[in-house]
Amino acid sequence: MTDATANAAVPMGRKARRSLLEPIVLGVALALIVLFSTTIPGFASLGNLSVILSNSTSLVILACGMAVVVISRGLDLSQIAAMVAGATTFSTLINAGLPAAAALALAVLAMALIGFVNGWLIAFVEIPAMLATLATAMFMTGLFRFGVLRGDYLLILPKSNPAVVFFKSDLLPGLTAPVALMIVALVVTGLVLRFSTTGRIIYGMGDNFQAARLSGLPVRNTIVFVYVYSALAALLAGLVIASASGTVDFRIVTNGSLLFEVILVVVLGGIPLRGGRGGVRNLLVGAALIAVLRNGMTLYDFSTQTQDMLKGVILMAAIFVDNYLNPRDAETDTAGDL
Amino acid sequence: MSRRPIVALENVTKRYGAIAALEAANFDLYPGEIHALVGENGAGKSTLCKLIAGVMPPTEGVLRIDDAPVAFSAPKDASRLGISMVFQETSLVPQLTVAQNMVLGRERAFNSVRKVRNTARQALQRLNFNVDASQLAGALSAAKRQMVEIARAVLNDARVIIFDEPTASLTPEETEHLFDLMKALRRRGVAMIFISHALEEALAHADRVTVLRNGRLMVTGPAADFDRAGLIRHMIGEDLAKRDPTAAARRPPPAAAPVLQVENLRMGAMVNNMSFSVFPGEITGIAGLIGSGRSEAARVVVGHTKRNFGGGRIWLNGREVRYGSPAEAIADGVAYVSEDRKLDGFFETLGVSENIGLGWLAKFGRRRWIAPAPTMRALAQEWRTRLSIRATGSDQPVLHLSGGNQQKVVIAKSLAQQPRLIIFDEPTRGVDVGAIAEIHTIIRDLARSGAGVVVISSYLPEILDLSDRILVAKSGTIAAEFVRSEATAEKVLQAAIH
Repeated sequence: MTDATANAAVPMGRKARRSLLEPIVLGVALALIVLFSTTIPGFASLGNLSVILSNSTSLVILACGMAVVVISRGLDLSQIAAMVAGATTFSTLINAGLPAAAALALAVLAMALIGFVNGWLIAFVEIPAMLATLATAMFMTGLFRFGVLRGDYLLILPKSNPAVVFFKSDLLPGLTAPVALMIVALVVTGLVLRFSTTGRIIYGMGDNFQAARLSGLPVRNTIVFVYVYSALAALLAGLVIASASGTVDFRIVTNGSLLFEVILVVVLGGIPLRGGRGGVRNLLVGAALIAVLRNGMTLYDFSTQTQDMLKGVILMAAIFVDNYLNPRDAETDTAGDL
Repeated sequence: MSRRPIVALENVTKRYGAIAALEAANFDLYPGEIHALVGENGAGKSTLCKLIAGVMPPTEGVLRIDDAPVAFSAPKDASRLGISMVFQETSLVPQLTVAQNMVLGRERAFNSVRKVRNTARQALQRLNFNVDASQLAGALSAAKRQMVEIARAVLNDARVIIFDEPTASLTPEETEHLFDLMKALRRRGVAMIFISHALEEALAHADRVTVLRNGRLMVTGPAADFDRAGLIRHMIGEDLAKRDPTAAARRPPPAAAPVLQVENLRMGAMVNNMSFSVFPGEITGIAGLIGSGRSEAARVVVGHTKRNFGGGRIWLNGREVRYGSPAEAIADGVAYVSEDRKLDGFFETLGVSENIGLGWLAKFGRRRWIAPAPTMRALAQEWRTRLSIRATGSDQPVLHLSGGNQQKVVIAKSLAQQPRLIIFDEPTRGVDVGAIAEIHTIIRDLARSGAGVVVISSYLPEILDLSDRILVAKSGTIAAEFVRSEATAEKVLQAAIH
């Protein structure tokens, strides 16, 4: 019973399935903090910390949605397009004079519909997630740019609108609305994953889809839920970004680097793309690394291109380390046919 | 025989984990001989062949080719020494032409399309096979694919050819042709092994026959020394053949109405007009060879796969049902424990409690929004005690459990749904002896509690041990039905094989 002694040190099973990548990434993030603090004057200040935090709110909110999708063994490439589409819907409606609450309700409905279409294509038409979400992303971007913006890529928000003001206000001294919304997103995601029936099914589906289906779990409905959840997270992130900058900018979709960062946060935190594992803590670790890195590189005055290259290298290194630490299990290759 | 064997196995053992697929086997093959291997599913026939063909290495023992010990690391090492295997599921690349397949792995850096095609065409013609060399392999019928594989083996100057159930997909004429060809190859000194479930075939065409049972070579001898009944006796073992069936007979069959009635079920090529009934409180065993359509029929019943259009009817407690998904079946209390727990049985990285809890949620989670860990753990604790599942804790990942305990978790996952009808597909495959007995007790208790229980098993002793009524499936239909008191291993096997 060597297994028993090995596991006795581990209090409960959640740890047993944690990715080995997580502590490494956490270590790297801490090392970066030390490096930046010593080499960049002003990095370790309270002011910079709040900059790091407020700059990563939308990223973390997006990653909350993406994490739920990835744990269910899916992938949502339409998330950034949904984010911009959601913000556009909301902005257009308040520009047209609708009260903020009604505009918000309509935007939520529109985003739920987008998530539903994604989920329906994947669960019922059985199109691979990557293709289905890529298609809806293209469709949405085209539809909103030409249908709503008439070919333009920028939409200006009314700065004085109470809703816009709310999304960038301070709720409490030191607690801005975006940060509060990020915390809410993290808590809700954590609760859904750990305590809800749907959360259990998401892990089961990600671990073994066929077993989940054969066990009689409502797998198709859960797929739809997951993509609706992702689209709603995208809407929230879109509102935060749009209110902070005062504009909705479609170039976020076309340059693609935000989507890459969201996936980076999820994967670096130790949520494998094959699904079934990970949780909110992994998300925080991945986000910590990306946020610190982003901030440090900006302070070093690296060009966007250099930053992109570095992020690419980091993703490759992470995948390499992960494959090295989690080699394919010989036990799982046992032949069933004797 | 005074000649030197071309292939010799000395005390060869092959283990998968703790289970020996082949144990201390001594086997000789001489040039110019046709050697038949017979035995039940899982007796070790395929393992023996794969060892000779270099598909995998033996765990212990020595393999000699032409008296020299060899250690193959890949099939191509064996093929270099002239050993070819014709697989049951053919190993042709469907996207390549017949000719390209025949030279596959032996191409030079540059290949002339015409030369390759001519070589292939000549090889096929020499064997009198009517196959177009420029056709895509994927477009061929099963029989023609088999022909291409044989032609490939001959083209590779094979001195040893191993056929894994070569006649299973052939028509009678094609079978006749294949055996004529094998006899022609024999005259050229080629040694051949063929696995077959058709015992008459083995007796009529082989020079020698070897019978395997549970990974052991039982007997080898000239085909003329055996008859069908003798072979079957060796396949099932003396003790099983002699066992008194009446001693095992338990209660009389209950007179209740059937839980499940299946009538003329058809699904693809696998299930062909299958009809049977399952009664509450009794264990219905379904025996048969692998590929006889038992699992496929079960999967249609539980809504995993769809039957053909107009492909029969299914009644549950007298009400006609047609499940579109397993979820609907489970809502009605119909559960299925799959034959391959790793593939679609358990959730490997999740703990024992989550595995059992997910099964329970499927039935009782419909109006339940939250499923906190303590609730799931308490549920798991209950099932761990009831089925004596040995794990270090309710959260130990299932992958770290032994095969028997994994299987018990999968069973608990279904039992937590309180099924009225439960179908076990190979419930003790890859499970150690102690756990087999425990799982059998669980299955018997279930039947005693009044549920309808179906056990699908390729292992005859299991079927005979457990079942109150035995159905024998053959080529997608139920070929025979026995009450337990009338069933013997010989009768069941006679009905299951051709």
